[in-house]
Amino acid sequence: MNTDPFTTEIIKDSIVALGDEMFNAMLRTSMSPIIYETTDFAVGATDARGNLLAQGNGVAGFLATLDTAVQSLFDHYQADEIAADDVFITNSPYEGGGTHLSDVVILVPVFFEEKLIAWTVNKAHWTEVGGAQPGSISTSATEIYQEGLHFRFLKLYDKGCINRALHDMIRDNVRLPDSTLGDMHAGVAAARVGAKRLLELVEKYGAAQVLAAMEALLDYGETMTRIELAKLPQGVFEAEDIIESDGLGNGPFSIRVKVSIMDEKMVIDFTGTAAQAPGPINVSASGLVTATRCVFKCITNPEIPANGGCFRAMEVICPPGTLFSAVSPAPVSLYYETDVAAMELVWKALAPALPERLPAGHYRSVSGTFISGLHPDSGELFVMGEPLAGGWGAAPGRDGDSGQFCALNGETFNIPTELFESRYGVQVEQYALHNANGGAGEFLGGKGVVIDYRITAEEAHLTYGATRGESRPWGMDGGEDGSHNYALVQRADGSEERYNMCTTVAVKKGELIRIYTGTGGGYGDPKKRPPEQVAKDVKNGYLTAAQAARHFGVG
Amino acid sequence: MSAAKHTPMRVATDVGGTFTDLVFYRMAADSGQVNGQAGSQISELGTCKVDTTPPDFATGVMQALVKAGLAPADFAFFAHGTTVVINALTERKGVKTALITTRGFRDVLEIARGNRPDLFNFNFQKPKPFVERYLRAELAERINYKGELEQPVDLAPLPEMLEFFRAEGVAAIAVCLLHAYINPENERRAAARLRDLAPDISVLASHEISREWREYERSNTTVLSAYIHPIARSYLESLQGRLAAAGCRHSPYIMQSNGGISTIKRAIANPISMVESGPASGIYAAAHLGRIIGEQNLIVLDIGGTTAKCALIENGEIRISTDYQIEKDKKSPGYPIQTPVTEIVEIGNGGGSIAWIDEGKKLHVGPQSAGAAPGPAAYGKGGTRPTTTDANLALGRIDQGSFVGGEVQPDMAALEKAFKPLMDTLGMNLAELARGAIRIANFNMCNALRLVSTNKGYDPREFCLIAFGGGGALHAVALAEELKVPKVIVPVNSAVFSAWGMLLTDLRRDYVQTRPLRLGAENLEQIKAGYRALEEQAARDFAADEIEAAGEAAGDTPGDAVKSELVLEHYADMRYAGQEHTVKVGLAFNAGELDLPRAMDAFHAAHEHRFTYRLDAAIEIVNFHLVARRPVAKPEPAKKPQTGRPLAETILHTRQVDFDQHGVHEATIYNGLALEPGMILTGPAVVQEPATTLVISPGHHLQVDDYGNYHVHLERA
Repeated sequence: MNTDPFTTEIIKDSIVALGDEMFNAMLRTSMSPIIYETTDFAVGATDARGNLLAQGNGVAGFLATLDTAVQSLFDHYQADEIAADDVFITNSPYEGGGTHLSDVVILVPVFFEEKLIAWTVNKAHWTEVGGAQPGSISTSATEIYQEGLHFRFLKLYDKGCINRALHDMIRDNVRLPDSTLGDMHAGVAAARVGAKRLLELVEKYGAAQVLAAMEALLDYGETMTRIELAKLPQGVFEAEDIIESDGLGNGPFSIRVKVSIMDEKMVIDFTGTAAQAPGPINVSASGLVTATRCVFKCITNPEIPANGGCFRAMEVICPPGTLFSAVSPAPVSLYYETDVAAMELVWKALAPALPERLPAGHYRSVSGTFISGLHPDSGELFVMGEPLAGGWGAAPGRDGDSGQFCALNGETFNIPTELFESRYGVQVEQYALHNANGGAGEFLGGKGVVIDYRITAEEAHLTYGATRGESRPWGMDGGEDGSHNYALVQRADGSEERYNMCTTVAVKKGELIRIYTGTGGGYGDPKKRPPEQVAKDVKNGYLTAAQAARHFGVG
Repeated sequence: MSAAKHTPMRVATDVGGTFTDLVFYRMAADSGQVNGQAGSQISELGTCKVDTTPPDFATGVMQALVKAGLAPADFAFFAHGTTVVINALTERKGVKTALITTRGFRDVLEIARGNRPDLFNFNFQKPKPFVERYLRAELAERINYKGELEQPVDLAPLPEMLEFFRAEGVAAIAVCLLHAYINPENERRAAARLRDLAPDISVLASHEISREWREYERSNTTVLSAYIHPIARSYLESLQGRLAAAGCRHSPYIMQSNGGISTIKRAIANPISMVESGPASGIYAAAHLGRIIGEQNLIVLDIGGTTAKCALIENGEIRISTDYQIEKDKKSPGYPIQTPVTEIVEIGNGGGSIAWIDEGKKLHVGPQSAGAAPGPAAYGKGGTRPTTTDANLALGRIDQGSFVGGEVQPDMAALEKAFKPLMDTLGMNLAELARGAIRIANFNMCNALRLVSTNKGYDPREFCLIAFGGGGALHAVALAEELKVPKVIVPVNSAVFSAWGMLLTDLRRDYVQTRPLRLGAENLEQIKAGYRALEEQAARDFAADEIEAAGEAAGDTPGDAVKSELVLEHYADMRYAGQEHTVKVGLAFNAGELDLPRAMDAFHAAHEHRFTYRLDAAIEIVNFHLVARRPVAKPEPAKKPQTGRPLAETILHTRQVDFDQHGVHEATIYNGLALEPGMILTGPAVVQEPATTLVISPGHHLQVDDYGNYHVHLERA
């Protein structure tokens, strides 16, 4: 057997490449726009015990959802109950891998010579999992039972045989069965592609060497992370913030974190965060681990591919039953708004100590916008759902980025207006950066976006939810806070309604939905921004003349 | 000499970043018509290489002609490829550019698609747009998605807008209005008025560049094309002028990214179409060679100094796509360019790629490159970091005695010194470390080859690997083993293969028109009318070429490229209704009629091939794609003479060569120039030519074909 270190390197890299391969397979075979456009999915592999080996992500927010799913599976099955050609399915928010019911995890055990050697796993947002509202997302649920079908680590395939009862149960309880079952098969196919590649590696290099390479891969992740961890300033860093509302009118809810950076580890303690809410903005424990992992990765080593070893030096503390660690039957369909807030909270605590890694606060919202109705040409039902890009915070030496998707997203794409208009009964009249007050500083907060949807269907319905409708993205070191996220509905009679969260608001033909995403926080005293730069900002229309005078003392 | 002087010549030049390559051949008297088949007599190909001469690139071209002793008066055909466009873009050497768009949408260029490929980098910044915000203006107008004019464009603000642009020093204006891909009326009127008002400023309208939807991609493409327009124009006009002054009676043809050539006038009108001309011609050459030697399924590998480029050819067809970006990598979305480009995957792994070790003691190769200067450590030109080329030398895979064609005595001391820090860090000897570097470089290239093959649903066992460029032959056999490709082909003249490709390309236009339509009997007339409109456009455009050529030839015969019949190929980008991603499918039109069931079958099959499944769902055409070609006469490669010399006479010597996992063997070293058609040899062996080294691991057989191309048949492991 060839045991030189480069063979190990190549096996390691092959395992990492397998994540990309499964990612492509999933992208190519899925049926839901939210998978193939928003890339709201993740694929990966773990070792036999559920240590993450490699992951291909479309969004940052799935970073702790594959390995923890495998770990929780062992709470449901003994080793002898897991066999080759089994396929497991789970979307339980309260256990490993959990976010909301729409995100479904597929797990495939990989056996070599009757020994379990690894798992291939993926998690994807299915457009429809049933429940009270089309698309299975609402701002008004009070229990998880209203949010859709709930699978807790069921066998979808038993030794290669599909579980017919489960399959039919799904088919008959969702609004778009073709698409939902299509996504399910795409998940199984992608996991099997990964399993096949893993077995090819084992056949080529031998099981012993591949298993050794898995260990080496995890150790490499740990080593690279610890090298960076050691460079971070030690100490205790705290932050607090709010979530304004739970969609039902309750709130604001306080969120807190205490981050301790020590020699050997970083402990992130969310004790003091408000109890879980009645409305659907709750996050479960595995969603919280994802949020902290994202920031931990950002400040240690964002370069190398993520694996379980990268997070050995990270510990999360949060008592059960909070907004960040909700338990059954808390509704969770808007979990993503709170998850990005948890992520940004850790970042807010550490930003003053690590200004070169972490900018001022961003618009902190997925701003998921859903418009449904009957298409004026075809008369068919359309359901448009898209996240919106917004403003990021400024950092020392540079302005914030404008019109970028939030930290929980990532390889997420906006829908081009020219495609959008052909698909939905809506005309987009404006897609632009706005200059609402906010984000002034020596370095400017990145601009938020304003988008105008003119309804061309006879009637359409708007569902929308965002935080930072009352609070603002935080500025740093004298920089001003940013601006709000919110939706306006302009009625035919000239009246205007403002929403931070709403479910199925009726909007008539010719009326306008206008959505704002926030401008990010500024960095540094605005008076320190050179006047010639301010003049250029005015020329570029990033600032009005009045803003230049009022906030920067120029003109 | 004087007899040859009146033989018409076909000449191609390829201006690269470092070198300007020249390839030429003389045509026999009867080879004016289109062929590529047997019957024509072609004398041997000539080649020549000179330094590229920035900023006046035409100087290098003229120097190459002088060095090769060619008289431009004899040129029947002159093709020209250039990296000038891509270099002007990457070095940001274009002109100050403005954008005019639909009211409400000037920030599309800045928002882009909003994505962050570098997921965990919260300091991520999108690439900066090529037009600053104050130079992005808006006009009141609206076309809807059906192409209906809802609001005619208001041109009244244009004079004031232009005055502002002029005061700001704007030299080019891009116009991109919403839905202009389906109805360019408003855009056309705006562009016409601008040209009237400002004939001195470059004005490019999006519908002249792309007829596809996606406003960000189309805007960015138009902006980039405008940004380089004045530079490309003066460069091409200077080249044309100097060739004419030297007696050349035909305008040069310009190599395009779609694998075809175009007239100079059209290249000036849309310079972004030249953005990837170099790789396109290499792939085109591979397809052409494949046709000659009967290998229609090819995985193409071009290894240069800093990058390796991979592509796939199926049934002799090159894949063309408009989904192309510059400066895109794992961390950056780059800039999209919506122009037909030969589908390639390019990675930062070439002969000059640097081997390095990270803090976790992991060995990497590339993407940083030692480039041409200082180059690999063994060049002895001050390179202190080890490269892939150094590793190949250290393992005996490259002969020390014929390094860089025998022109350079490798500095082995510098090589060892460069590897030393890495050897110390990992506690290894030179051979172990060099082997590791080669293996990692091969792994990287293998992944890139998988991206064009297995990841797109192709089985490499059904393909040959054709390798060229300076480093192709060194690595090809090992890569083929890994991918389980049964045969490797290394063509003759593999170091100037890309320039050779330019002598083979046809005059070509790709018409891609977005027009979403269900594929069904109810729409058959519309579908046919859609293609008919593109065909008529093609006929008009090619007729204009002829007039242009006839005009310039002033009584003489026009360049032979415009004399042949137009060849049309019909494609459609299709998908299942509701899907996003499309698959390109060839459509068989017969006398203007389309066989609908056959078209549907073709789509189902293509979808299943690419995406592993088919659906019982409605099919939608998204883009109509017409390829119109006017074929040019192609050189028949010369057959390599046979003298009957025994194989033993071609052996130079034997030496120790490290074949990585196959071990170290005493390998037979052959003189490639002496090898003759029909000869067969077996690895462990190395075939050496001045610019090519072909490494054949133990057990594989090499066969030389009639033309001198090498075919390595792999033993099944």
